[in-house]
Amino acid sequence: MVQQVRKFSLLFTPLCLLLLSSCGDGTGKTNNPEEIQEDTTKVVSSGVLNIGGELFSIPSPLQTAMLIQKTGSPYDKGILNTKENMNQYATDFSKALNLGIYGADLGYVSMYNKTQDAISYLAAVKKLSDDLGLSGAFDTQTMERFNKNISNKDSMMMLVGLAYRSGDAFLKNNKRNDISGLILAGGWIESLYFSLQVNKAKENEEVKRRVADQKQAISSIVKLLSQSVAKPEYTDIINELKELSKVYDSIEYKYVYEMPETDVAAKTTTINSHTDVSITKEQLEKITVKVESIRKKIVNPVKA
Amino acid sequence: MKKIFVTCFLAVAFLLANPFKGAAQCDTIASLCAKHIIASFISDGQQYRSLLLNPEETAEFKTTFFGETVYRIAACSGLTDGNLIFSIYDQERNLLFTNKDYKNSAYWDFKVKSTVEVTIEAKLDPSNNGSGCAVLLIGFKQSKK
Repeated sequence: MVQQVRKFSLLFTPLCLLLLSSCGDGTGKTNNPEEIQEDTTKVVSSGVLNIGGELFSIPSPLQTAMLIQKTGSPYDKGILNTKENMNQYATDFSKALNLGIYGADLGYVSMYNKTQDAISYLAAVKKLSDDLGLSGAFDTQTMERFNKNISNKDSMMMLVGLAYRSGDAFLKNNKRNDISGLILAGGWIESLYFSLQVNKAKENEEVKRRVADQKQAISSIVKLLSQSVAKPEYTDIINELKELSKVYDSIEYKYVYEMPETDVAAKTTTINSHTDVSITKEQLEKITVKVESIRKKIVNPVKA
Repeated sequence: MKKIFVTCFLAVAFLLANPFKGAAQCDTIASLCAKHIIASFISDGQQYRSLLLNPEETAEFKTTFFGETVYRIAACSGLTDGNLIFSIYDQERNLLFTNKDYKNSAYWDFKVKSTVEVTIEAKLDPSNNGSGCAVLLIGFKQSKK
């Protein structure tokens, strides 16, 4: 609050000075209006129009769902959050995290063309997004598109991505970055949970690698949620994620740079660099235990 | 004198209400930019936007490019293509790509063989000498082997 006031007064003082000078002396003498407009916009922009703040990028849970399906892992409804849980989420904090979780679940069932389950998870996503005031992301038109394409996995993945981006933009426009961050965090935790459960059922090098590749993501999520650290409900999840981050810090990564190649006609650059990762069984086990614990608290906030 | 103060007060109030105008400007740019993320790409579900006041200012974020994936990055500012310069650096700060070398192309694809952590930076083209909302969008698809 103090910081906001400081920002406001810092902004207000030069604005007044600027505007007083631009208002003239009452004799009808005016300055160049275009010049003034440009200057005032710049002054205001620095304090008020800071829409996005610091930028963070969290990997899409849909990417992991695609990888899991590609590895030939069988469909397992047991790894998803049950749709019946949707009515027990009472706070915006809980709703936002689980909106992220259900979005990842919707992506997973869509990848396996499970139409009935997709309908159920779409309903859960719609309910939580409506509760959070995000009806624009899942409006009638979007829902019609979903229903029309429910058995087409490619279209479904595309629509889920678009709807979540629309929700993200709406929340950022309305200065609800905290909710946007929770949705991203929920989706990320669920997709990591998928990977760990799939690998637990049957070890898979590609999936294991995807688990290890989350070091940057966990760091971004901790920073993203830490912006709301003053809110008491965030403390537990941030602490748990920080502990998870420590496990990632212990994993050995070795980056090797190689010159990229660009095909100008195709507007494509091939990135040839690579990172060698060495993740031990113990590290994987620690990540599994921690992610299961975090997820349990999110999907079952009452029991946890 | 009183009239001057009232006028100035109203002007300040109007300018303070301008975030909505800024948000609307960003929305318009984002809609135009979204056209570059064509149907074969899936959106990552996020919209990266930042207000850049001059060409010296940079918006940046870190992300992970997963192996065996093709990413499309669309970068826009203003109502026409080519106003935003975006560059991608690896974790050792090697420049992997900049659209500055390709007429500030509004989008570019990245075929990623093995997972890499990158930093994406965006800044306004100095030749346009302006300020405005910068929007970056990311789409992805599985790489065909």
